Amino acid sequence: MEFSELIRTRQAQAELLSGPEAPALRGTLCVTGHHLLLSPKPQATDLWLLLLRSVDSIEKRVAGDSGTITLRCKDLRVLQLRIEGVEATLDVARSIEGLRLGDAWHFHPLESYYKRVALETDAWRLSEVNEDFSLCPSYPRVVIVPRAVDDAALARSARFRQGGRFPVLSYHHARSGTALLRSSQPLIGPKKLRCAEDEELLGAVLAGARPGAQGFIVDTRSAQTAKQARMTGGGTESKAAYPGWKRLHRPLERGRHLQESFVRLVEACGDLEQSMDQWLSRLDSCRWLAHVQEALSTACLAAQGMEREGACVLVHGAEGMDSTLLVTSLAQLILDPLSRTMAGFQELVEREWIQAGHPFQLRCAHSAFSHARSKHEAPTFLLFLDCVWQLGRQFPLSLEFGEGLLLALFEHAYASPFGTFLCNSEKERCLCEVRTQTHSLWSGLNQSKEQRKLRNPLYVLNPSALWPSVEPQSLRLWQGLFLRQTRPPERSEEVWEKVWQIVTDEKTEDSRPVVSAPEPQP
Amino acid sequence: MSLLRGLPEMELIVILVRLFLDFQEKLALLDSAPILDVPLGVISRIEKMGGATSRGENSYGLDITCKDMRNLRFALKQEGHSRRDMFEILTRYAFPLAHSLPIFAFLNEERFNMDGWMVYNPVEEYRRQGLPNHHWRITFINKCYELCDTYPALLVVPFRATDEDLKRVATFRSRNRIPVLSWIHPENKTVIVRCSQPLVGMSGKRNKDDEKYLDVIRETNRQISKLTIYDARPNVNAVANKATGGGYESDDAYHNTELFFLDIHNIHVMRESLKKVKDIVYPNVEESHWLSSLESTHWLEHIKLVLTGAIQVADKVSSGKSSVLVHCSDGWDRTAQLTSLAMLMLDSFYRSIEGFEILVQKEWISFGHKFASRIGHGDKNHADADRSPIFLQFIDCVWQMSKQFPTAFEFNERFLITILDHLYSCRFGTFLYNCESARERQKVTERTVSLWSLINSNKDTFRNPFYTKEINRVLYPVASMRHLELWVNYYIRWNPRIKQQQPNPVEQRYMELLALRDEYIKRLEELQLTNSAKLSDSSTSPSSPSQMLPHVQTHF
Repeated sequence: MEFSELIRTRQAQAELLSGPEAPALRGTLCVTGHHLLLSPKPQATDLWLLLLRSVDSIEKRVAGDSGTITLRCKDLRVLQLRIEGVEATLDVARSIEGLRLGDAWHFHPLESYYKRVALETDAWRLSEVNEDFSLCPSYPRVVIVPRAVDDAALARSARFRQGGRFPVLSYHHARSGTALLRSSQPLIGPKKLRCAEDEELLGAVLAGARPGAQGFIVDTRSAQTAKQARMTGGGTESKAAYPGWKRLHRPLERGRHLQESFVRLVEACGDLEQSMDQWLSRLDSCRWLAHVQEALSTACLAAQGMEREGACVLVHGAEGMDSTLLVTSLAQLILDPLSRTMAGFQELVEREWIQAGHPFQLRCAHSAFSHARSKHEAPTFLLFLDCVWQLGRQFPLSLEFGEGLLLALFEHAYASPFGTFLCNSEKERCLCEVRTQTHSLWSGLNQSKEQRKLRNPLYVLNPSALWPSVEPQSLRLWQGLFLRQTRPPERSEEVWEKVWQIVTDEKTEDSRPVVSAPEPQP
Repeated sequence: MSLLRGLPEMELIVILVRLFLDFQEKLALLDSAPILDVPLGVISRIEKMGGATSRGENSYGLDITCKDMRNLRFALKQEGHSRRDMFEILTRYAFPLAHSLPIFAFLNEERFNMDGWMVYNPVEEYRRQGLPNHHWRITFINKCYELCDTYPALLVVPFRATDEDLKRVATFRSRNRIPVLSWIHPENKTVIVRCSQPLVGMSGKRNKDDEKYLDVIRETNRQISKLTIYDARPNVNAVANKATGGGYESDDAYHNTELFFLDIHNIHVMRESLKKVKDIVYPNVEESHWLSSLESTHWLEHIKLVLTGAIQVADKVSSGKSSVLVHCSDGWDRTAQLTSLAMLMLDSFYRSIEGFEILVQKEWISFGHKFASRIGHGDKNHADADRSPIFLQFIDCVWQMSKQFPTAFEFNERFLITILDHLYSCRFGTFLYNCESARERQKVTERTVSLWSLINSNKDTFRNPFYTKEINRVLYPVASMRHLELWVNYYIRWNPRIKQQQPNPVEQRYMELLALRDEYIKRLEELQLTNSAKLSDSSTSPSSPSQMLPHVQTHF
């Protein structure tokens, strides 16, 4: 999502023809985040510069071992670049294509995540079975599935899962050779239906994992709720039908109850009249921190299953687009150091929440103050952000981003001038042409002036898993969010700024050999 | 570690100071064989559990209650009668006073680079505050502790009050603890004055000298017409104290004063509250309804009231530009909490490591907070009604402040926890005895080591990496229940399930950075050496090496 990721090649030898009259300019062509540069040989001082945003259309042609790129600019100029090497031509063209929009919409988290997985194992493949969203309207166009399962089997598995959400890869844990998957509930129903392809799919997952791996199905409903779901056509995997998979029930609050908890909490935090000696019991009765605890401990369970037991884990609840995503995304943060970087976390949110079809528009239609409530609102994503905040509090060095990013995501999820959180699924976003009609939040956030507010000045890469303490004593109310009305927000920002200053001072000291010496002795 | 399951073979080493349990051999299979290390001073109570006929696992052994929020239970085997010896040895050395033995601090021969007894010099501290001045003088009237045996030798009193006045005022204040200066505002010259309650009694006695003395204090600062009196107690308690001869300053007797009650409860209430905290965190942490059970201990509520009181004192002095008189009943518990916390809020000097040591030394140790009675050093009477966690409560308040102002304090959490550990450990003389006169009789400074020696010799360990020094910034913490937290790293540190990041990663990172900087300094010095060597070799001008060095120095 950084511009640099869009740059396929940085340099090429090229010749620029600005028009029939103008002389050709030869030199080294450079692609940067915003510009195209041509520096004529030998090191002449005058550079030719083109703002990539001014490119209106691009056309490439290859012939022999060189190529030509025609750039038609918004100011009606037409420029031709003759570039040495076919590869170079194509790479430059693709880079310009990606960069000229100046937006992060051209960032494909699933494809780029798949590239990572492919380096670790060949048990998975990228499937375009959902290209037209016909199999599963809430899934993206591409999904990562076991290599051994073909698209036809996927289609039948999709019919056996609520909303077509068949099991797909959420995270591959290279160290243990196991996988984290997510889906919706199987449509077992009162007649105890089975689906051979669905069983085959989960079988293939175990077969593709480290030898002898077993599987855990983490059902985010209670055993009883899961059983009752059969009456309405749902249910949960039976042990007999899915050999090697063991089911665990970890009920997580969702929907209306979660929303009510959120509303009660905000009410309590905003109630300045309330007698203070009852604050703690009131906070207790809001149950919000209990939900944080349940979410974190379920995520720990899933992560532990992979890292410690060497098992594959499938997470689902009913629809598989709320508490399921909460668990899978948190488990990745616990296990995967890359997801704790600025770019990695944005990719995680994009891949595990936005592309995975968390219905943001329905869930975040109203926040805590609105009286108009439909039954669809639920602060699941906020609960996720709160859990991440707790992780950051317990591991102050291990997240590259800070509270600022979490607050920004919370705000943008509920109301945003950017398109990132619009609609409920990838399908809807395509229909609404979100990508062409709006800007991406990630480009907005990655502007350099925002960085200090969002980044953690103390970050150092922590390669190990982060096992948070989930005891109630270890969890805190997220004051920076819930008490923003009563607490002067400058204070934490001031502190942040001071820490930045200290750290950047240290950094410059690092880079310079000259450091502040102790005071001269009198 | 609440229960050590039957490990009869473990080695128990009782060294005069501490109880070491080494069960490395038995538990070598665990990742880290735990070694239990308990300073004997921490032990509050030792009990035998079970008898020779007890059946069942872990029913026979020793039960040790500690002052630092943990209990230890040792399950032993009945055979061999080893328990009796163990019990006797532990009792003897954990409670030396009951056995006419010296407290360990007097046997401790540790040596440190720094002498912590030099940290606090009252004359220097008052000079730092700009005293004496036109309105305040230093008096040695209490040199032999005759005016007041629980006060320090050196006192700061109004310039206009004669020593005779002081003696007459002393007769009207509980335990002769007359109003004396604790702190003076560097700009508006308002003061914080501390004392004990006036001896008003049931009949409503008055004392002209006391009334005049308070008026003299008021007049040292001309900016406001009233002297503000903060009585730390709840109103009803202050009234009830009249029955035992005490009381408070009434409007009719003391014109030109304003009296406020701060509703802070007494030592017994605090002790019971902390006991409840211990009940919910040890040995098992109350899981369900944690917040509600925390609330029912009222501990944070008491913290809130103490902080609120201190904020009022600080605000009155700083913004209200009025001098303040603080007292409770005897003026050595709640009064010390309020004056020291207010001074911490007002004066950034006390937020440095040495400044804080001076603050503790001054407002707590020298002014007679009864550490010996409140903690019960070496004393076996665990149920003594005089014991109370008043100083712990103060340190908790400081921790709450340091949480809210992460860059304002030079010291870190470990500093505070170390102070609390040695409040009980009896390794240092710092917190021994009830008052300065007793310490002087026992020659504590000559015969024991100061805790500040340990701390000041290892200052880097106790430094807050994010400290940014600020002068004249008044800190007003938010004393709302919403912003107070239970100090988990202290109260629940013995619970293995509460994962602590050991050592604190932020500090560790900072240490790394410091180490890197030191390395650069070293390298720079080497460069300078080679540089100056080169210069002196090649240069014909003899002055250039010496010119070079200052030039390099100004560069950084």
